[in-house]
Amino acid sequence: MRLPIASGLATAAVAATLYPLFAGGTWFVSGLGAILVITAMGVFASHFAFPRWLVPLTGLAVLWIYLTVVFAGDDAWARVVPTRDSALALMELVGTAFEDIQRFAAPVPSNEAITLLTTGGIGIIAVIVDFLAARMRRAALAGLPLLALFVVPAEIVTDPIGWPAFILAALGYTGLLLADGRERIGHWGRAVLVRRVGGITRGNPDAGQLRLSGKRIGVTAIALAILLPGLLPTLEPNPMFGFGVGSGPGRGGNTISIPNPIVSMRGYLTLPENATVLTYSSSDSAPHYMRIWSLDLFTGEQWTMTPPTGSPQNRVENGPLPSPPGQGSAVPVKRSESTIQISDDIDELQFLPLPYPASRVVAEGDWRADRSTLMVFSTRDYASGLKYQVATDRPAPTPAMLNAAGVPDPEVAERYLRLPRDVHPRIREQAEDVTREADTPYEQAVALQEWFTKTGNFTYDLRTQGHSSSALYDFLINSRVGYCEQFSAGMAVMARILGIPARVAIGYTGGSSIGGGSWQVGTHDMHAWPELYFEGVGWLAFEPTPSGGLGQGTARAPDYSLPPVQEPGDSSSSPSPTDSSSPEAGTATGGPDATRNPRALDREGALAPVTVDEGTPLLAQIGAGLVVLLLILLIPASLRVVARSRRRRMIARPPVESTAVADDSGGTTGATAGRIRVDRRAASVSAAWAELDDALYDYGMSRPASETPRALARRLTESCGFDALSTAAIDRIASATERMLFARTPGEIRPLAEDLDRVRRSLAATVSRGRRIRAVLLPPSTLRRLRGMGERLLDGFDRLENLRVRRPSRKPV
Amino acid sequence: MAVSHDVGQQLGDLVATAHRIRQAIESVIEGKTDAVRLTLTVLLAEGHLLIEDVPGVGKTMLAKALARSIDCPVRRVQFTPDLLPSDITGVSAYNQQTREFEFKPGPVFANIVVGDEINRASPKTQSALLECMEEHQVTVDGATYHLDTPFMVIATQNPIEMEGTYPLPEAQRDRFTARIAMGYPAPAAELEMLDVHGAASPLDKLEPVATTAEVRALIEAVRAVYVSHPIKRYAVDLVTATRHSPDLRLGASPRSTLQLVRAARAHAALSGRDYVIPDDLQELAVPVLAHRLLPSVEAQGQRRHPEQVVAELVRRVPVPEAQASGPGGVGPGR
Repeated sequence: MRLPIASGLATAAVAATLYPLFAGGTWFVSGLGAILVITAMGVFASHFAFPRWLVPLTGLAVLWIYLTVVFAGDDAWARVVPTRDSALALMELVGTAFEDIQRFAAPVPSNEAITLLTTGGIGIIAVIVDFLAARMRRAALAGLPLLALFVVPAEIVTDPIGWPAFILAALGYTGLLLADGRERIGHWGRAVLVRRVGGITRGNPDAGQLRLSGKRIGVTAIALAILLPGLLPTLEPNPMFGFGVGSGPGRGGNTISIPNPIVSMRGYLTLPENATVLTYSSSDSAPHYMRIWSLDLFTGEQWTMTPPTGSPQNRVENGPLPSPPGQGSAVPVKRSESTIQISDDIDELQFLPLPYPASRVVAEGDWRADRSTLMVFSTRDYASGLKYQVATDRPAPTPAMLNAAGVPDPEVAERYLRLPRDVHPRIREQAEDVTREADTPYEQAVALQEWFTKTGNFTYDLRTQGHSSSALYDFLINSRVGYCEQFSAGMAVMARILGIPARVAIGYTGGSSIGGGSWQVGTHDMHAWPELYFEGVGWLAFEPTPSGGLGQGTARAPDYSLPPVQEPGDSSSSPSPTDSSSPEAGTATGGPDATRNPRALDREGALAPVTVDEGTPLLAQIGAGLVVLLLILLIPASLRVVARSRRRRMIARPPVESTAVADDSGGTTGATAGRIRVDRRAASVSAAWAELDDALYDYGMSRPASETPRALARRLTESCGFDALSTAAIDRIASATERMLFARTPGEIRPLAEDLDRVRRSLAATVSRGRRIRAVLLPPSTLRRLRGMGERLLDGFDRLENLRVRRPSRKPV
Repeated sequence: MAVSHDVGQQLGDLVATAHRIRQAIESVIEGKTDAVRLTLTVLLAEGHLLIEDVPGVGKTMLAKALARSIDCPVRRVQFTPDLLPSDITGVSAYNQQTREFEFKPGPVFANIVVGDEINRASPKTQSALLECMEEHQVTVDGATYHLDTPFMVIATQNPIEMEGTYPLPEAQRDRFTARIAMGYPAPAAELEMLDVHGAASPLDKLEPVATTAEVRALIEAVRAVYVSHPIKRYAVDLVTATRHSPDLRLGASPRSTLQLVRAARAHAALSGRDYVIPDDLQELAVPVLAHRLLPSVEAQGQRRHPEQVVAELVRRVPVPEAQASGPGGVGPGR
C-alpha cells in the first residue's frame, strides 16, 4: 500500500525535473495525471494482491486508456474505450511528436503531440518503477528508470538543472527507499519486538528508529551534496548541476559563456603568425566589420554582457532575424549578401561573426538570434568550420536624419545608459568639454570620435595595462595611451554620460582583401568598437581607435561617423590591408602619425580584458580557497567568542538590592521594577551557568543531563583537584544556580564573573594543551549547538512527515 | 503558598531536633546513617516506612529505636498468619456495666506502629492496615475513629522468597512512602555492636529526645518547604519515565509522585533548606519508587531489579535547567 504511493511520488518528483524541456506546463499536468492513474492502479493491485506479472500489463493497459481519454477521446468508444481509430489517432500524434522533437530544440512548445509523448513516457516510467519497487521489491533498482528520466534534461538542456529540482528528485527517490525499508523492517521486526502492556500494543520502536535515522542520513546527504560544492571555494560553484558549465568545454550542450571563447581565442592570438579566422566574400565587395559579441553592461571596471536569450522561434532557420532595434523604415539601407567561412581551427565559438545588422542568416545547426542585440549564438553547435550566408541591411543614414534623431526608446535608454555611480567627475567634465560645440547627440558622437582619433592626442599602444575604473580615468584624462579596448570603452562610457545609448561590440575588423571580392580576417584583426544608438536609425558603429599605420591596421571609420568637413588623406575612410608580420610589439609613442605594429595588438591579448577576467593564478586561487576554508573553520570559534562576550555582559549586570527581593517575595505588590531586576539576575545566573556548561563541554568534561549543579560541583572538586578557592567558586556558582531555579527567593547572589573565571582557569589547568587549543579554535560547545539546530531542523521534517493522514490500523500481514 | 517569616527559625529547630533523634537512634544501631536519615525523612513526610531485609540485621531495632526516641505512644504488632484484622484495628466489646458496646482500640491507635514481619500475615489482615495508613482513621462497626498525628507505620518484612510469607499486595506497597534495606553492618560496626550489646540492650537506656508536639511542629515546618515548578515537573518526569521504561511492567502511581515530593520536602528540611532541589529527588527516587514497580519479564530474565532500573532512570532524566531565555541555555536531550 505504501510502496505504490511512494513509487508514484518518486516518479512525480523526478518528472518535475523535466521542466526545462518544455515551454508550457500542460505536459506536467497530464504527466501527473498518468502517474496518478498508475499509482491508483498500483494501490488497487496491492490491495487485491494481483499476481506480480499482471500488474505492469494492467498498468500499461490503464495508461493506454488514460492516453486515449486525454488525447484521442473523440475517436474512442464512449470517449473511454480505445478503438482502432483512437489507436491510429494516437499513433499519428506520436509520429508528429517525433517529428517535432527533431525539429525543435529545448524548450519545446508543449503542443498536444509532444505532451502525449511526454505523458506516455512518464507513464511508462511510472509503470516500471511501480513494478520494480512494489512488485519485485527492488526499490533501489527502481532508481534506474528514475535516473533515465532525470538524465533527459541533463542531456538535452543547456541550462543546468536548478538545485530545488535536484532536491525534489532526490527526496522522491529517498522516500521510495525509505518506504521500502519500512515495509521490510515492519515485516520481520514485528514478531520479535511487539509487546503488549495492559492490552495496548505499543508500536515497533526499532522500525521507527531505523526509519528516522534512514531519513536523517538521506536528508543530510542531500544537504551536503548541495551545500558542500558551494562551500568549497576552489570548485565550481555547482558542479553537480552545471551539466554544461562545470563539465568543461567541448562537450555537447554547453551553456553560452563568454569567457571560454575569449580565452581560447586569446590562445590563437598569441600564435606567432596571423592565423586565419574566417574568410568571406560579399556581394558589394566591401569589407565588413564582423561583430561577435555585444557588451551592454559597464561595471565600472569592464564591459560585460547579459547572457543572450533566444527562444525557439528566433532560430535563424525560421526566417528573417528580428528587425534591428530602432531602425526606422525611412532610413536608406545598403543591402549586401555575404558568405562567411569560419576556419576549422576555431574552437568553442558559439557565436557567429556577423556584419551588423544581419537580416537573415542561413547556417546549419541550432542558431538563434538574440532579439535585442541580434547576436546569433547556439547552445549546442559550434562555429568551427561553419560556412554560412548572411544578408545585411546596413543603414546609410544622412547626417540630417541622424541630427533629427529623437529621444531614445525608454527600454533602450534604461539598458544602455546605465553607468556606475562612481564614474569620475573629471570624465564627465571631459565629455562635456569635448562636445561643447555639438548640438545634437549625433554631433556629439562625431565630436567624440574626432577627439579620440585626432584632437585628443591619443596614442595607440598595445602595452597598456589594467582595466579598472582608474585605468579608464588614466586613459581618458592622463596618459591617453591605449588600444581598441580603451578607445571603445572610453567612447562608449562618454557617450552614455552624454545621454547617447552605447554599447561595445567585439569582433573583427573587415580584414584584408585576398582578391576576387573576398576578404580574409586573421586573429590580429580582432577588434572592439562602440556602437551608438539613434532613435529611428538604430545602432551605428563608430571607430574611435586610430586606424592605419599608427592604430588598428584594418580599422576604418564609417562615413556617417566622420565630421562633415573632411580633411583629405585622412587615415580612416579607405580600407588598409593589414600587413602580416612584424615581430616586435609596437612601441609607438607620440601622435597618430607614429609607426605602429598591428601584430602587437593581438599578442598583447587585445580584447580579453574587456570581457573577461583573466582569472587569478592557480596558486592564488588555492591560497584564497584555503583562506576561505580557514575562515569557515573559524566560524564556530567566533560564534563562541560572541556567545561568551554576550554572556559576560549579562553576568556583569548589577546585582539586586534586597528591597527588590522583599518586594518580589511579597508576591502581591506589583513591583514590576523589582521583578525586572530579579529577571535580570536570573538571566545573569543562567548565563553564568550556560557559560560554565559550555566551558565544561569544550574541555571534554561534558555534564550528563541528569547532573544537578550541586553534583557537578562535587564531581569537579573531586575529579579535578580544585583548590579551596576554586572549590568555593564552583560552589557559589552551583548554589546561585540552584537558588535561582528552585528557591522561593534566591537570596543574595554575588556577581559570578570572577568565580566563573577562576573555575575556568582551574578547569583549563587539568586538560591537555591540545584540548585547550581546540576549545578556542574549534569549540565543541558551538558544534554541539549547531548540531542541536540541525537536529531541530530534522525534527521539523519528522513532524512534517507525521502530519500525514493515518490510515485506520489494519492487521499487519 | 503562605510564607511564614520564621521559616529560618523553624528550620533551625527542625535540624536540631532531627539531629538529636538521629544521634539517639545511632547510639543503638551503628553505621546505618542513611537508613536512619531516610527513616526520619519518612516520619517528617507523614509517610510510612517499609524495612525489608533478611532476619537479624536490626530492622525491628531501628523501628523501636525511633519509637523510643520520641516521647509518644508506640505499639508493636507481630504479624503472624493467624492475626486477624480486629487484632490491629480494635474490637467493640460488650460492657456489661454500661450495657453498651465499647470500642477497644487496637494497637493501631498510637503515634508509631511497628508492624513486625508484616508479610507473614494473611492478605486480609494486611489490608486492614490500608485505611489506617492512607486515611489516618479506623472504621469499626460503622464508627470512624481518627488517629493521632503523627501517625507512622514502620513495617518490617523479610524478602518475599522466605518461607511462610505472603507478598504484600501492590496496593499496600504503594501506601508505603519508602522502602529501605538495612544491609549487613560493616565489620567495624559489627565489632562495636558486640561490645555495646554484649552487656545489656542499649534500647533500654534510650531516653526520649523529642516530644510529640515537637514532631508535629517539625511536620508543619516541612509542609512549608517550597517546591518550585521545575522541581514538580522533574518529579513528574521521573515518575513518568518509570511508566515508559521497557524494563518495567508497572510504573509508579500518581500517589508515588505525591509522596516523592513530600519526602523531598522533608529531605530538604533535614538539610536545613527551605526549598527542594533536584538532588533531594534523585536521592529519594530509589527508596520511594522502587518498591512499587514490577519488573518486566525481560528485566527479570536479565536479573535487573527495579532499584537498578530507577537508578538508571535517574541518571537519564534531565534535571531542570536554566530557562531557555538564558543565552545558549542547553536544552535537555531528546
